Amino acid sequence: MSILAYNGGAVVAMRGQDCVAIATDKRFGIQAQTVSTNFPKVYRMGPTLFVGLPGLATDTQTVHQRLKFRMNLYELKENRVMRPKTFSAMLSNMLYEKRFGPYFIEPVIAGLDPYDNQPYVCNMDLIGCPNEPEDFVVSGTCSEQLYGMCEALWEPNLKPDELFETISQALVNAADRDAISGWGAVVYIIEKDKITEKHVKTRMD
Amino acid sequence: MAFMGDIMNPAPLWHNGPAPGAFYNFPSNPSNLGPVNHTVQDFRAHSANPITTTTTVIGLKFDKGVVIAADTLGSYGSLARFRDCSRVMKVNDLILLGSGGDYADFQYLKDIIDQKIIDEQCIGDGLLLKPRSLHCWLTRVLYNKRSKMDPLWNNYVVAGIQDGEPFLGAVDKLGTAYEDATIATGLGAYMATPLLRDARDKGNLDEEAAKALVRKCMEVLFYRDARAFQRYQLGVVTADGVVIDDVAELQHNWNLAHMIQMK
Amino acid sequence: MLSVSENFPEYAVPGAKQVRFEPYADNGGSIVAIAGDDYAVIGADTRLSTGFSIYTREQKKLFKLSEGTVLGATGCWCDTLTLTRLLQARMQMYEHEHNKSMSTPAVAQMLSTMLYYKRFFPYYVSNILAGLDAEGKGCVYSYDPIGHCERSNYRAGGSAGAQLQPLLDNQIGLKNMQNVTVAPIPREKALALLKDVFISAAERDIYTGDSIYILIITANGIQEEKFELRKD
Repeated sequence: MSILAYNGGAVVAMRGQDCVAIATDKRFGIQAQTVSTNFPKVYRMGPTLFVGLPGLATDTQTVHQRLKFRMNLYELKENRVMRPKTFSAMLSNMLYEKRFGPYFIEPVIAGLDPYDNQPYVCNMDLIGCPNEPEDFVVSGTCSEQLYGMCEALWEPNLKPDELFETISQALVNAADRDAISGWGAVVYIIEKDKITEKHVKTRMD
Repeated sequence: MAFMGDIMNPAPLWHNGPAPGAFYNFPSNPSNLGPVNHTVQDFRAHSANPITTTTTVIGLKFDKGVVIAADTLGSYGSLARFRDCSRVMKVNDLILLGSGGDYADFQYLKDIIDQKIIDEQCIGDGLLLKPRSLHCWLTRVLYNKRSKMDPLWNNYVVAGIQDGEPFLGAVDKLGTAYEDATIATGLGAYMATPLLRDARDKGNLDEEAAKALVRKCMEVLFYRDARAFQRYQLGVVTADGVVIDDVAELQHNWNLAHMIQMK
Repeated sequence: MLSVSENFPEYAVPGAKQVRFEPYADNGGSIVAIAGDDYAVIGADTRLSTGFSIYTREQKKLFKLSEGTVLGATGCWCDTLTLTRLLQARMQMYEHEHNKSMSTPAVAQMLSTMLYYKRFFPYYVSNILAGLDAEGKGCVYSYDPIGHCERSNYRAGGSAGAQLQPLLDNQIGLKNMQNVTVAPIPREKALALLKDVFISAAERDIYTGDSIYILIITANGIQEEKFELRKD
């Protein structure tokens, strides 16, 4: 079994009209055994910037800490907040530094650009190859299921509340068909001057 | 327990030396290639890969029949060893058969098919084997061989006339069978299929157009497939019967290869 | 044995390229089946492929076993061909012995037995059986390659099975939906949904595409339909 699927987990992000959403499950397990049901894999990195790091949990935490460190350094040096696109480039470079001994995570980035409020979503593989589509990105152990759900449910120009419904349904239904994802979910809706964090109840088996 | 090692197969006392309780085999002494070194699978393994191989077979349906083509090179690894391996075969007045892959396996099956046809003629009821029947029969033969892990390493292309309509089908070494209006096996699947499908999509083909297209494909393959050859055979089956042309020679022109010319 | 003595025969030295014969192939393809109150629909894409090449764009993967039973099969195509031929023979034998055609649940049980018979050299096939049961109700049976069998009302299988199934859970099984009443889905809705999920699958699965071949099984017989998908 792949080390990427050792702990399980899923993250998805979607673009809407002047908003983006990112959602994660809450499971932390060791192979088939569920250890914790309060381990979201999405972190807030800026006022309107979130990153999801599904994969090997130890790397999730390590990469998060290293990202936070580099972010702080950037903000102190530049005295301004980081754009999502810059953040992606930074993470991509960080992952590629470990090209031959990678962190086992496949990140998802979602945010609004702090300068022009453009929605932005991005995902990358474990060595930092970025992908910035116009619609949605998925990652984690049920990425196939997520692709199926998103491909059918997503449509352009979703309003924040519609986007919430879409992303929640996509994540929850996909995770229900994966034995090592689920056990609760968190959804963040990112708008220009409002972040909404919603905890979604799911089946716990 | 892992640290105890494998009791049944103890490690040798020194590198390439005897294991405790085993006889010592002197290296590079042919007389001691004892039964220890061979299993039944080792010998079987020889027949489980191709030796003298042939490359692409092309099949294309046109309005009133089917054309198939194959070159005549039998390769021995990278050596162009046999230059006259005919592998477009007339089965009867309704069926043309082409083969790619191991040439010995094709010859083996060809003899069986020839005998089948003779047996059928001996019955003397005037009935002919139809292409769909042969196609199905090939599927079973190849599938049974693959199930014994002793495959016939071939791709077969069956062309013919089934109840007045053109028929074109393929079978591979596993017994995977399908029908299509265009078929190309081996490297031709990547280089000839796009040309053939493109031409079919543009409209119905007559015999001359189909033949010209297949000849073009053989030329393209000759340029890029290192196991292809300039001499090839072309066969046509229509309601009038089967015609296999004499071996034709490609008119190749390497002027177009200026970008790959070596200084 | 060879690795222990390290007395390798000339043709088996480590590093020499060994062509292992692989008796299985993945020929792709997806199936979706939905059962309703008095009907069952089953659809399969028509692409037959291997690796990065497409053998043909018009391969039907649905097999009419009787007037009320259809089998959809994808995976290793040579196994599919063999299995369905054997099945068709067994269907005929049953018909000649009992002077009636087999009911769908009976076919379902037989298929499970036939798959398990090859437990240690399995048919690498993902099977979904759709039809009407003895009461005339729609039913769907799905299998793993070695004969595990389960009856349900909807199922997706094949190369895009993982992409299709959660959507069916949501839209037909009404999973994670609140304030909905469970009602049998009308045939038109099932058919529309089937086409929708295939369009989604064709976007992301390279082994699914070209077109869908759909069979609609009702008490009046089997109706055919074809629907185009993207061809790249």
